[in-house]
Amino acid sequence: MKIYSFSALVTALVMIAGLFFSSPFVALLKSFTIADGFSALLNRQVMMVVITSLVTALLATGLAAVVGTILGYYFTFHKNAGSRWLKTFFSLPLVLPPSAAGYMLLLAFGRYGLIGAPLYQTFSVQIMFTVSALVLAQFFVVTPLMMQAASSAFQQVPDSLVKASHSLGAGEFTTFIKVLLPLSKPVLLAGAITAFARAIGEFGATMMVAGRLKTIPIMIYVKAMGGDAGVADGLSLLLVLLSFTVLMLVNVIGERH
Amino acid sequence: MSLELNEVSLEIDRELILDRVSLKLPAGQSLVVLGNSGAGKSKLLEVIAGLIRNQYGRIAFRNRELTPLPPQERGVGFVFQDYALFPHMNAGENILFGLNARKASSAEKSKWLKAVTEELRIDHLLERFPAELSGGQQQRVALARSMVLRPEVLLLDEPLSALDAASRERLALLIKRIQKKYKVTMIYVTHDHNEARFMGDQVLVLEAGKVVQIGSPEVIFARPGSRFVAHFTATRNIFPGRIVDQYDDRRALVEFPGGRLISASFPEAGAEVWVCLRPEHLALVSSETAAGELTGNVGKEPAGANQLNGYRINQFIPQGGVTVLVELEKEGARLMVFSSSRKVEQKELVVGSEVKLAVAASHVHCLPRQPDDIYCQPYIS
Repeated sequence: MKIYSFSALVTALVMIAGLFFSSPFVALLKSFTIADGFSALLNRQVMMVVITSLVTALLATGLAAVVGTILGYYFTFHKNAGSRWLKTFFSLPLVLPPSAAGYMLLLAFGRYGLIGAPLYQTFSVQIMFTVSALVLAQFFVVTPLMMQAASSAFQQVPDSLVKASHSLGAGEFTTFIKVLLPLSKPVLLAGAITAFARAIGEFGATMMVAGRLKTIPIMIYVKAMGGDAGVADGLSLLLVLLSFTVLMLVNVIGERH
Repeated sequence: MSLELNEVSLEIDRELILDRVSLKLPAGQSLVVLGNSGAGKSKLLEVIAGLIRNQYGRIAFRNRELTPLPPQERGVGFVFQDYALFPHMNAGENILFGLNARKASSAEKSKWLKAVTEELRIDHLLERFPAELSGGQQQRVALARSMVLRPEVLLLDEPLSALDAASRERLALLIKRIQKKYKVTMIYVTHDHNEARFMGDQVLVLEAGKVVQIGSPEVIFARPGSRFVAHFTATRNIFPGRIVDQYDDRRALVEFPGGRLISASFPEAGAEVWVCLRPEHLALVSSETAAGELTGNVGKEPAGANQLNGYRINQFIPQGGVTVLVELEKEGARLMVFSSSRKVEQKELVVGSEVKLAVAASHVHCLPRQPDDIYCQPYIS
């Protein structure tokens, strides 16, 4: 009797949670009209925003894939007293409020910032409020994701394979290229796809460094606040579809792996 | 000209894994390392291969200091228990991995690939991936992967433990043949005493990171230096006893709960001892057989002097094939002895019947015993 009661309680909670989580999606679909949505998306300005988002997210993901993989490798195979602290430090952007991350990037790379000032004074290079700033902000936020994916990928490679490689005369670099990377490919790919989805959806940090530039999330915010539901609906649906596809891809890769 | 380890110690997370391990293995010989799980056997191999750096001591081969060298510069081959084949490469690519890492020429690669794969009879498997190979085939590929680099020292970490009995026998013969043919200096880790006997020119017994005995298999198995070694080499019959009389410097009479025997391997008279009797050295005899007729006896013991009487058969434990282990008992003392399965099948030996045993004095091995050593009954494994 008690078991049945518990089962009924769980079912009820699942239904309530389902209602709660589906309500924003239902609301979006209810608000979205095909005619308005498509005409808004085909607008030149909106198209530019989509392209900017895709390009910056791809660049940030590419950079994060390289740097995150190297960091993941380092923290998997070079464990020492300090590495735990260092790994926690590199993971900070995962839990840091994105607006704080953006603000700190401003402090570091702004025209009067720690690195930004000498860059501007020496090379007349300004990073903030350019496309580079968008890439930088997205890179800052998604690199820890990639690092974690790489760490878990390398940990899954049996220790004896790495030892076998070394005993056969391969140094660390050859072992990394010939053994670790090929065996970690599916998890690294899933990590990169997740990082891309996170980068394209990044709002807080990007908003702080974007200036007049806009990405999809910034555009949604601006249009929603300005009462332009057509563009906000269209772009939101685009992100929902993109996120869904990404999750499906990650699941498929996970199952195959 | 040998592989030398001098006072090699290894500490991991403040735990002493290897404790001042020293050994000297002549080049071209094989050493089997025997020990329990966690004794440090695998770590010893990894230290020699350079996969783990030892904090103390030195390792040298043919007077070349190996201690500071990375694994790739040591000229040491390693065969792993789980084969450690790269799953994303086929057998051929696995075998060539080391030669590719060393940037060997194509001619050299094809020459050694052909030679080694023909030798190991795996030349028809080169296109297959590890997942498509049986355990025995995978271990052959792993062996080929090491041998293709013509290592001067080959380390094998329980290479047969994951295989079925038939594959194990075949591969053991193959490894021994290859080791002798190429005169490779080999260290072979196992916890199987039969493998140790077969594979090693020398046997080293490791206990909690320490070398407790090293010597030829004959010495280690017939004259274990401690009760641990006796147990580990499947002596099976170990009794607490006492040297009650000494006839001369080669013979003494030892008394133990199961009887009295003449021993040719004993400490001083009056000593408290562990009496070690290997099951294969005990013979079930008819009443007419005299102990002196047994080979290996020293001197002319009187007829019946090295016989044990009054034991009854408790049970038979099949050992596979033609051998059976017979458990005997007399007044609470239990003894294990090998016999042929045929005798059991033909009812020459039946449970409950009384039997007589004989053993050569040279096979009655007595170890010094401390008064607080705990008595252990013979065990079955």
